[in-house]
Amino acid sequence: MFFHNFKYTLKALLRNKGLIFWTLAFPLIMALFFNMAFSNIEKQDKFKAINVAVVTNEYYENNTMLKETFELLSDENNKDRVFDSKYVNQDEAKELLEEEKIDGYVVFSEDSQQIIVNKNGVNQTILKFVVEEIVQAEDTADIIQEKVENIFNSREENGIMETLKSIIILLQNNSANIKDNSDANLSYMTIEFFTLVAMTCLYGGILGAVAINWCLANMSNVGKRLSMTPVSKLKMVISGTLAGYLIQLVGVALLFIFTIGILKIDFGNKTFEMVVLALVGSFAGLTMGVAVTAAIKTSENAKTGILIGFTMLGCFFAGMMGVSMKYLIDKSVPIINKLNPANMITDGFYSLYYYDTLDRFYGNICGLCIFSAIMLAIAIVSLRKQKYESI
Amino acid sequence: MENIIEVKNLTKLYKKKKAIDDLSFDVYKGEILGFLGPNGSGKSTTINCILSLLNFNKGNIKIFGREMSPNAYDIKRKIGVVFQDVAVFEELTVYDNIDFFCGLYVSNNNKRKKYIEDAINLVGLQEFKKYYPKQLSGGLLRRLNIACGIAHKPEIIFLDEPTVAVDPQSRNNILEGIKKLRSDGATIIYTTHYMEEVEMICDRVIVLDKGKIIAKGTTDELKYLAKIKEKITVEAKEISNQNLNQIKQLPEVQNISYENGILKISYENEKNNLENIIDFLKNNQIKYRKIYSERPTLNDVFLELTGKELRD
Ligand SMILES: Nc1ncnc2c1ncn2[C@@H]1O[C@H](COP(=O)(O)OP(=O)(O)OP(=O)(O)O)[C@@H](O)[C@H]1O
Ligand SMILES: [Mg+2]
Repeated sequence: MFFHNFKYTLKALLRNKGLIFWTLAFPLIMALFFNMAFSNIEKQDKFKAINVAVVTNEYYENNTMLKETFELLSDENNKDRVFDSKYVNQDEAKELLEEEKIDGYVVFSEDSQQIIVNKNGVNQTILKFVVEEIVQAEDTADIIQEKVENIFNSREENGIMETLKSIIILLQNNSANIKDNSDANLSYMTIEFFTLVAMTCLYGGILGAVAINWCLANMSNVGKRLSMTPVSKLKMVISGTLAGYLIQLVGVALLFIFTIGILKIDFGNKTFEMVVLALVGSFAGLTMGVAVTAAIKTSENAKTGILIGFTMLGCFFAGMMGVSMKYLIDKSVPIINKLNPANMITDGFYSLYYYDTLDRFYGNICGLCIFSAIMLAIAIVSLRKQKYESI
Repeated sequence: MENIIEVKNLTKLYKKKKAIDDLSFDVYKGEILGFLGPNGSGKSTTINCILSLLNFNKGNIKIFGREMSPNAYDIKRKIGVVFQDVAVFEELTVYDNIDFFCGLYVSNNNKRKKYIEDAINLVGLQEFKKYYPKQLSGGLLRRLNIACGIAHKPEIIFLDEPTVAVDPQSRNNILEGIKKLRSDGATIIYTTHYMEEVEMICDRVIVLDKGKIIAKGTTDELKYLAKIKEKITVEAKEISNQNLNQIKQLPEVQNISYENGILKISYENEKNNLENIIDFLKNNQIKYRKIYSERPTLNDVFLELTGKELRD
């Protein structure tokens, strides 16, 4: 009887086009949509190379590294092109700036660099930032060069070893900086995908909700009929929700396969913890669906609507439409996101991605378990009834 | 006769509204018991109380001599219910729906296959096995609803208005099926507000109104309850008040009404009434278009007992 009900619930759920759309297809469509939106932002940035001028004084002409870096950043064939550069003398640069043909110009000299702009804006900030980076890199290169020269000047073995070590440390620091930068760029995009996983986990609860709705005499006509069969309510409810949970997990798995495998989104590499989080998150969604179904007396569609609405709101607070929302809530009304399962899931993936320790991750797992326990308690209180005042 | 269901002093209130009021009755093994009553008289409520789906305020219900409860699975195993509202899965085919419900009673695959075929043949859905409920007409859907409730060959079958909004062909098919179930040995409780159906298939009738039993017995017994034995209708455009008063004084006349050129006379006895009224009309030179006589129906019984028609 257990497997019989499991099998037919699975069959019925899979044939329900609306349900399957929301739980399996909709997340994939959202993923595709996010991916397109973000890659568009990136493309726009690439095309809008910033118009700048470099004053070709003696220092600049003699500094090959500066020259090459600038030319590389301005190269039309470089896909990471930042600048559209003109190489002029100081007077011409001033003129260009006044005519607003450039956003700013740079004058390099022995011990400093001057960045001249006449407005404050995004382009000006980028110009400053990039030039400072270049100069810093140049300094590092200088230091390395110096140390290397020292090696050749020195005859002591120890000295060589020490120098080599310090070079390695320097290089490591440099590459660490680079990695940090790329992470900062990514975070914007990945957190939206984390909320998408949260949404998929919670949406899956609709499946369990519908399966339960079918078992309850006070909720559906089929429920009346099933209540008259010689199969216990507990058996019906558990086999039905299991069928829902299975499809729900397939939905989450599909989303991972699609985002990681096809869209090449980086979720980090803590696979085991990710799977645990997805299972626990989906379970939270399932219990939420069951609680809503068992406790609220309205039509099946209304219940689905409540679950979709609640999930969407939760995902919105967790940063689905922009991470600033999450920061805002975390800062001003933290209680909302402490109770928000969508945020707990999002934050769980976030902490797996950015933190080496698992404390924050375990915190989120605990939060989800408590949430599930509360939902289960609500569900059990309502499900224990076998005879009703009215049906 | 063996009592298969015993209902004693059943009373059920929805909040403060009394839906059934101190009902007591028995159901005998092998009979078709009709539950006849207008909308809202408490038929469905009674069934749901018997089935232990509803809490009730007072009373006690025994099935097969044992107290009914939600956990009485061995009793439930022998019961089949066809609820008033269609209860099938939109997502499953006709065959799968029957297989699903039947499978919760019968786990042996071969036996189940045979049971499903029997149910499909009984309601006449042979050509629609692969259809989804959405593709069925209202009548066919009702037949599927019945098949889902009876496929496991229960000993007691509850049918709550299974023929509502069904075309005459489907209705006959359903009624024939129900008679067949009885002849196969089932006991049937059948609710309806169509008295013709009751007259066609029921061995015994319980007439309900406002949650109370107002009469019970075989259809003939019930008809005997009525004081009226004959009704004569005359279509005549003009009858004077004086004539109407004279008609009222004719022998055996119990009551008359005259509205829109239609005169209705009810008699307490059925002797020579037609002859008398025709003579009277002739003698008083009253012109009439039509005149006809009828035997009383269950509706008249109901009208007499409650002062209102069975169907609104
Ligand atoms: N869930 C409910 N809550 C409150 N009152 C109800 C409920 N269900 C039925 N009633 C009331 O109880 C009375 C009996 O209703 P019931 O459905 O048993 O009648 P019925 O004879 O089956 O009518 P029908 O022929 O329309 O099916 C009616 O007055 C109805 O308004
Ligand atoms: Mg009813």
